Amino acid sequence: MPDVKVFTKNIRVIRQNWTLTADGSWSEGLHVVTGAVGSGKSTLALTLAGLLKPSSGEIQREGISSVMMVFQDPEFQVTGSTVEEECSSWGVDPDAVLQRINLSGKNSFSIRELSRGELKRLLLECVLSKQYDLLILDEPFSSLDCYEKERLSRELSERRHGITVILTHEQSIFPRTDYVWEIIDSSLCCRGKMPGALVLWRSAPSLIKNLILADKIPKNISPDDLVEALCRT
Amino acid sequence: MIWWVVFAKPRDLLKNNRGVFPLLILIAFFSGFMELTGGGGVSYGIRMLAILAIGIWLYSDYRKGEFLDLGTWLLGTGIGFDLGMVAEMGMQSIDTFSSDFVWIRRAQELKGEAFSVRNLLSTGIILVTRTVRRADDTAEVLSVRGYTKGGSYCPGFRTTWKDFVGAIAAVFLVIISSIPASEFFILYR
Repeated sequence: MPDVKVFTKNIRVIRQNWTLTADGSWSEGLHVVTGAVGSGKSTLALTLAGLLKPSSGEIQREGISSVMMVFQDPEFQVTGSTVEEECSSWGVDPDAVLQRINLSGKNSFSIRELSRGELKRLLLECVLSKQYDLLILDEPFSSLDCYEKERLSRELSERRHGITVILTHEQSIFPRTDYVWEIIDSSLCCRGKMPGALVLWRSAPSLIKNLILADKIPKNISPDDLVEALCRT
Repeated sequence: MIWWVVFAKPRDLLKNNRGVFPLLILIAFFSGFMELTGGGGVSYGIRMLAILAIGIWLYSDYRKGEFLDLGTWLLGTGIGFDLGMVAEMGMQSIDTFSSDFVWIRRAQELKGEAFSVRNLLSTGIILVTRTVRRADDTAEVLSVRGYTKGGSYCPGFRTTWKDFVGAIAAVFLVIISSIPASEFFILYR
């Protein structure tokens, strides 16, 4: 299988009164992009997905034949009127999907009867049930409770295929990550590969910063890795 | 129409509101159909164009808070405030509607679905559901903030000399249009 890669070459995306700049290369694996609210994460996500044309620069893709993005707001991506119809629109088995997200038996429910969190879970599971060469998740943890965040983290940690980009301002629960990026002053900065990236990560959660200060650098940022680092003597 | 051409910067308006072109085609179609089948199509077309022209000028030239300023200035801090606020919310909804539509189209593009009559229904449902939900949220926020009716508000307007000239011209045209043509053209009698 050919290697998949994405290059963001001197990208500039001009918005109303600020400009996002991005320059880097994205290899196979899981990338986490962090940044404050309003820093440009969604803009970057749309640009990577090819849904927003940059004002200058270009995005080059190698070996990418399928692209998917999950929006922060799940409502926009619904096309079915019932849960079963929605699953079918994604080409996935409704029963299997609903079982994994603890919504078994809700096949005939109207989409509008689901809470925002349930809709988000449904949409994410439909997408994660399929393989994409480039998968972009914009704030996938929003609207989810802690249990669901952990379940999603574990599922994302197990993904082996393609490039997965998670854009989030989450500070507590992360999947096992290969690369860390952050948006500082509207500019995308690559902090590198794990675990070396942790030391350079300016907006790392305070727990990780404290572990680094205590010379207990975690191997990764998943809950299990953080617990392992905490328990080290 | 003359007023629109002179005061409303038509070139910029049409450039920034390309969505109006399908409407122009629709008006042209119905005008032509009426003219061919019974007459009056040209008059209808001109009248519809005038309404559309004023509509896009009103939408493009709108600045946030203008309707609230106008309502309060015209009718006071009771009914004027309420009407102004309703108009402001209406204008806000139009912007949000457009933005929601863009997101829905992006989602359909990702799913490999071209915009068609088939997915028009799901698009419409999403747009209406979100608008109703937003209206509910707005009502709750207003209620929490103690709103019952009316409000204290000081209207303020930014005017330039062009606005005065435009206003005088508009009043002049209204007066002219209310005078029968026979008062101007004596041979018309």
